[in-house]
Amino acid sequence: MNAVGSVSYNAWRVVSLSPLPRWALWLLAAALLAGVGWTTRSVWRERRWRRRGVLLGLRSLSALCLFALLTEPGLLRLQTARVKSRFLVLVDRSRSMAFPAGGSEGSSTTRAAAVAQWAGQNQAALAGLADRFQLEVMGFAGEVGTLELAGLGQAPAPNGPRTDLLGALKTAASTNSNLTRALAGVLLISDGADNVQLSRGVGPQEKAQLEALGAPVNTLAVGQGGLKDLAVAALQVDDFAFVRNPLSLEVTLRYQGIGPQPVPVVLTRAGRVIASQTVNLDGSGVTKARLTFTPDQTGEFVYTVSVPVLPDEAVVDNNQRAFVLKVIRDRVRVLLVCGHPSWDERFLRGLLRQDPNVDLVSFFILRDVHDDTHSSPDELSLIPFPTEEIFRTQLHSFDLVILQNFAYRPFSSGLRIESYFPDIKHYVEGGGALLMIGGPNSFGDGQYDQTELADVLPVTGAGSPGPDDSFKPQLTDEGRRHPVTQLAESGDQSARLWNALPAISGLNLVKAKPGARVLLAHPLLSVGGENAPVLAVADEGRGRSMALMTDSSWRWSFEAAGAGLGDRAYERFYTNAVRWLVRDPDLTPVKLSVAQHTIEPGQAAAFDVRARQADYGPAAGAQVTLTVFNAETEKQVVQLRATAANDGTVRIEVPDLPGGAYRAVAEAMQPSSQQGGQEGGKPIELGRAEQALAVRESGPETEDPLPHPELLARIAEVTGGNHAALMDGFPKLKTVHESEEVEIGRRKEQPLWDNGFSLVLLAVLLGAEWFFRRRWGFS
Amino acid sequence: MRVVSSPVTRRDLLRWGALGLASFWARRARAFGDSSKITFAQLEVEGKFGSRAHALRRLAFEIMERTSLEVTPLPRQLDLSNPDLFDTPFLYLSCDGGFAPFTERDSATLRRFLAYGGFLLADSVDGGEAFDGAIRRELARAVPEAPLQRIPGEHVLYKAFYLIDHQGGRQIVAPYLEGVVLGGRLTAVYSRNDLGGAWSRDDRGDWEFEVVPGGEQQREGAFRLGVNLAMYATCLDYKDDQVHLPFILKRRR
Repeated sequence: MNAVGSVSYNAWRVVSLSPLPRWALWLLAAALLAGVGWTTRSVWRERRWRRRGVLLGLRSLSALCLFALLTEPGLLRLQTARVKSRFLVLVDRSRSMAFPAGGSEGSSTTRAAAVAQWAGQNQAALAGLADRFQLEVMGFAGEVGTLELAGLGQAPAPNGPRTDLLGALKTAASTNSNLTRALAGVLLISDGADNVQLSRGVGPQEKAQLEALGAPVNTLAVGQGGLKDLAVAALQVDDFAFVRNPLSLEVTLRYQGIGPQPVPVVLTRAGRVIASQTVNLDGSGVTKARLTFTPDQTGEFVYTVSVPVLPDEAVVDNNQRAFVLKVIRDRVRVLLVCGHPSWDERFLRGLLRQDPNVDLVSFFILRDVHDDTHSSPDELSLIPFPTEEIFRTQLHSFDLVILQNFAYRPFSSGLRIESYFPDIKHYVEGGGALLMIGGPNSFGDGQYDQTELADVLPVTGAGSPGPDDSFKPQLTDEGRRHPVTQLAESGDQSARLWNALPAISGLNLVKAKPGARVLLAHPLLSVGGENAPVLAVADEGRGRSMALMTDSSWRWSFEAAGAGLGDRAYERFYTNAVRWLVRDPDLTPVKLSVAQHTIEPGQAAAFDVRARQADYGPAAGAQVTLTVFNAETEKQVVQLRATAANDGTVRIEVPDLPGGAYRAVAEAMQPSSQQGGQEGGKPIELGRAEQALAVRESGPETEDPLPHPELLARIAEVTGGNHAALMDGFPKLKTVHESEEVEIGRRKEQPLWDNGFSLVLLAVLLGAEWFFRRRWGFS
Repeated sequence: MRVVSSPVTRRDLLRWGALGLASFWARRARAFGDSSKITFAQLEVEGKFGSRAHALRRLAFEIMERTSLEVTPLPRQLDLSNPDLFDTPFLYLSCDGGFAPFTERDSATLRRFLAYGGFLLADSVDGGEAFDGAIRRELARAVPEAPLQRIPGEHVLYKAFYLIDHQGGRQIVAPYLEGVVLGGRLTAVYSRNDLGGAWSRDDRGDWEFEVVPGGEQQREGAFRLGVNLAMYATCLDYKDDQVHLPFILKRRR
């Protein structure tokens, strides 16, 4: 090629340099052709073909000359460069690539290792590819990043949390290098285990997006079946359940490489088996199990569904799955057992009956053994006292059991109520609640002290009959802070309201047990050095109990109303009592919550703590300690401390919890400096709260460890690429835009014929033609 | 001369017996006084209210004998302005003929008494128009939003202890009762049949009044109704609870 100046032109094209528009040139050509045609007609008569030929030739030549004159043909000299198109090689680096490759390589090689081996074996082919195209090698697993094929063998095991083939393709295809290069094609090396958009196959939307890439995607399938694996693939369960209502959970198991056999599916909570079912693996690859269980406690719990790990299973992480279930109560179910009807019973029943949150079941003893009704039993509406039902079979269906002046003996027909006391004790310690209301048949006066029920009461009898005089119970220091005796927002206001209530009379003399809290006490009378307790509460195992040592609390309702105070205090007291006894979460001074109940491995768990003071005001500056236990082993995992802000809240993050079920406990203390006028200045414990948390053992990658070459084949089909398997060596690749010639610099036009020369030639030709015509006798 | 000692009359025995019983009760209840017991109170009004003074005493006795209810044996007597009114949530108003209208204050007290859980039994001695007019007038003033209505036969009052199909007092002027219902609860009951007359027993132990037309069976019915009234006042709609229904229906058949 010619070099013009210092620039080298390496391409050329023939073009027309004429300023005339195209259509004019075409018209001209047509006209000239017509002219030639006319000449042909006129020389046809000439028999001597030689002459005819010369004339025709001259005429044509001159037409051509004229055409050349007018169209000004030229040479366009260009500077071009050959730009290589892009070719992408995308390598799957997600967690599933760490699974065995299967097939001939067996379970000893992982899929990623197989890819590394392939890269080593096909270095020459890859180098050839790099010659033809600009080769970009990237790894993807959620995000896309460059990858060194050579170093693949030494790289750490792939750990990507998900496989998003379509996303990776779209991201990689749109990445720019220096110039905008066309995409010639893609080689996608993966096991096809997509768990994002393409997990359900290539739908019309996905097909359109693949086609929009504008280049064929050749796919190379890694990994084969032949794996042995059993996985808990999916769980279907509600987010929350009502306590004591049965709940169903549907478990989907996926398996391969496992012969027909029965497999137990077990549901556990904190290591305790709740439900289980044995299913038969019939070879179809998918089976479902349905587990039904009835939560017996309110709160939030982590449940785990697991199947056993079979020998030689490829992936073990996916054999169990945890979920968090919130168990709430629909209504508080209260059992009220009364020894004989009284005003005390009447006003309590009236209150509980009209509370829409309470489902009241009552049993009153309307007739004693000694009573003579002067009638036959048919004329009475009395029913036998169903002790077996309420104290044994149905006992656990109640949230709270109230014994109001109930004499447990004697009963006719040999009913021995004491035989049920161990059941009631067990019920309370297991999470139930008990309230004993006083009277001549309660506490020591009713001979409860020598029974098993005494173990779950906060008080013990203190002997002789109590005083007859009326008195006004006083709030103790504990009572000022406790939610049960809260009649107003502040402790002082509460105390004033209590003092304003009518005096009561009738008191069971008792002594508080160690660990019990006395909330109301007799102002004058003392028992064992302390003021005689009127109201005491205690935590009993996982349950709670309360003792009210009087049978005239009804006066806080009716007599107070008569004095113009209304019955609000009575209502508030008993409502507080019921809520505290059944552990209403709203009443707790410390509340612990999480943003997400189930988190992915590696995600930090964020706990929100809210601490309140006893008067429900925010506990600013409270010292919060968060302890996280493993829910199965009850071992402490981590303990962190923080200080609450002015609104009593603080967020504590716990990073890096490995997979499993956890129970977090938050405790809040009010430091002594914040207390106003407290003696001693000891930090006060505000309360504690618990929260359940599940950290997933496996993410979506390990749920389905099977490779899916069929997805890769479909992607190749849709985009016009080739599909092959890794073990077949280097695949034949389909590409477009092999390489492009792109103008990179200046262009120069060079006219082909000098116009002056053309004019002279035209004149000569025309002259010659005229001459010969004359010679040979044409006009 | 022979000294004739006066015979120990039945009346004496009864008195000693009553005293003995009372002291026994008192001793047993010393820890709690009257707090856990039902106390009836006779309401004093401006009219002839005293003719059934012994009715409640006998009713208390019958209730104690037949049921597990513990009742103070001797009723109280007070009017609406008495500060101890709210000590006794069960009021008994028995009057021969009409009575004077209550003062505004007393009417308001009665309203508060009924609204906050009290119970009133209005018992007409003669079944006549005078008492009828007076009680309707006072109840309309105290609780205008809840007029006196006939109590239907299937009301829980009639199955609160005894299953009662028919009723009467000393006489039968109307074979039904009327009541005032507040918040789903029967708070006042009006009888025209002089229940107190059937209950009344004098110090000698004799029934004070004859019961017509049913005789002693009708008197027994009156006591049963009294027991049910007391049971209703203390247990409210207990017998309407689901668990009792199958038993009661079975018996009623």
